[in-house]
Amino acid sequence: MNEQEKIRLTPAARLGKWLVSGPPFLFLLLFFVAPSIIMVLASFRYPGEFGALAPIASADSDTLHGLTLETYEFFFSDIIYSYVFFKSFLVALATTLICLTLAYPLALLIARSPKKSRDLMVLLVVLPFASSFLIRVYAWMILLGPQAALSQVINGMLGVFGIAQVYLLFSPFAVLVAMVYVHLPFMVLPLYTNLEKHDPSLLDAAQDLGANAWQRFWQVTFPLSLPGIFSGSALVFIPVLGMFAIPDILGGTGDMLIGNLIKEQFLATRDWPFGSTLSIMLTIVVLLLVWLAVRLGRTRGRYA
Amino acid sequence: MRRICLLLSLLSGAALAADELHLYNWNNYISAQTIERFETECACKVVQDYYSDNEEMLAKLAAGASGYDIIVPTGNAVESLIRQHALRPLDKNHLPHLKNINPAYLDTAFDLGNVYSVPYAYTITLLGYNSQKIAELGLPSDTWAVIFEPRYLEKLKGRVTVLDSQRELIAAALKYLGYSANDVIEAHWQQARDLIIRAKPYWAAFNASSYIKELTVGDIWLVHGYSNDIFQANLDAQKAGRPFSVVASLPKEGAVLSLDSMVLHNSGPRPDLAHRFIDFMLDGKNSAELTNLIGSGNPNLDALQYVRAEIVRDKSVFPDSVQLRHLEMLRDLDRKQRRVLSRIWTEIKLK
Repeated sequence: MNEQEKIRLTPAARLGKWLVSGPPFLFLLLFFVAPSIIMVLASFRYPGEFGALAPIASADSDTLHGLTLETYEFFFSDIIYSYVFFKSFLVALATTLICLTLAYPLALLIARSPKKSRDLMVLLVVLPFASSFLIRVYAWMILLGPQAALSQVINGMLGVFGIAQVYLLFSPFAVLVAMVYVHLPFMVLPLYTNLEKHDPSLLDAAQDLGANAWQRFWQVTFPLSLPGIFSGSALVFIPVLGMFAIPDILGGTGDMLIGNLIKEQFLATRDWPFGSTLSIMLTIVVLLLVWLAVRLGRTRGRYA
Repeated sequence: MRRICLLLSLLSGAALAADELHLYNWNNYISAQTIERFETECACKVVQDYYSDNEEMLAKLAAGASGYDIIVPTGNAVESLIRQHALRPLDKNHLPHLKNINPAYLDTAFDLGNVYSVPYAYTITLLGYNSQKIAELGLPSDTWAVIFEPRYLEKLKGRVTVLDSQRELIAAALKYLGYSANDVIEAHWQQARDLIIRAKPYWAAFNASSYIKELTVGDIWLVHGYSNDIFQANLDAQKAGRPFSVVASLPKEGAVLSLDSMVLHNSGPRPDLAHRFIDFMLDGKNSAELTNLIGSGNPNLDALQYVRAEIVRDKSVFPDSVQLRHLEMLRDLDRKQRRVLSRIWTEIKLK
């Protein structure tokens, strides 16, 4: 009887499993795996004379066709491209750390507020998404402009000490500010969902055992929140790595990031193969990082 | 009765919808009145789509976009499209007004004999400046030196933007160094790169979009930009009652002239309407409307009488014959040159 039931249930369970995991699987296949494969293939082609790609096969031997490793050779022929990656990493890392520092206290505050105000606070965190990303970035142009209050105050103070004026707009500072501003909610939300689930009795127990406030945070709350920190960091780090709009709009003369370089290959330079190569490098590096973060999260979790 | 009326109006609406001209043009590159007038004249509808640079348009077409009757690309993009066999030859029997075009803008290297293209308007890449500030600082305004030489830039630190365009900025540097804007010798590009890197610390940004606003507000005092953008900045500054004007000035070393032409795309379903539109735009009155609106250069001799007097006098819109000799149109680069230039550009951006 029992055995029969098992046999009868299994197909249904299997179907249910497929129904649940199918759509996301299909989505990833369609919008991640397929484009990545196209990109990998494109990176081994020659650029077409007018953009796009040169044909793989051509009837007359004069026109450029076939497969090549030249984009990879070109990438490694000059240290400058690795340097763009390195610089983008620094920006992404800085953004992630600043977001974490700002988001952690906020998430903690929300998680420990009474249930009623909690929902309102979460809503406020998400509220900026109600307006377009570009509008919010353009707003920073005004906020950081030389005639804005912020610049006036800072330069006024610098003036007192006889230090030369600073320009906030069109600078690495402006890029970083906007990066943090745009990505902050992506750090707050996973942290909050994690912190909210913590059992308050753990802290009571720690207190009973003589832990002070700092010890309670550092030895109980923080280790438990590591999964939230890792997912929040991934949600901030990865988009920042590929961002091109913010450096374009707010950056100065030296704020090119990997996203800008890739965009440029597809537009100004009309070099799709090299753009694909850069994108693949970026994807590989990001996947490596995710893998590393997942491993790190696992071992740390076990340790905690 | 009312129902019949409704039915009739629906039917006529459907008939109108069938007579559609698809125009793929630059942002803000035709007056709304002109479009309206053409729609009345041809009893058709103009459906517009926009791009903000040639590369964007070429990329979109390369990715398979279709259905455009008319596109208005710049010279080198016209050349690209011709060599891709993406354009339909013009039937000049349907373009009686072609005689209005100044011969200086016909028969360009991009399209010898104008088999595919009809000049529409042009912009010049030049200097734009805040009249008050440049006068106060006693800086010259007729030379690229003011944008490349540290001795001038010292007074302008953080108040200068240059175009975020590889070709345009390198071309300005090449012109200043005494080379052709179309020079493709790598050593000359490297000289241009070094010149740019030396000047870069004084510039606020590479900017292709917001410099109009920055000029108008008075935060930026000198730009390397397009003539019609600077015209726009000045209009805005006057409208806002600023104490300065924004002036365009053509450097004596020469500059880049971008001639935009109307072409027929292969994929366009209505070449008949497209020819009508081109001939309509060749009419001086219609052509002048754009110049009056955005201060674009006008290759149409018949249009001059309709252009506002102060624009006709403006040398940055209508350069004289001496200046015209120093203006160059950018030619397309081949794939190897593009890759090398892109690397030089990356070096510039990172140094």
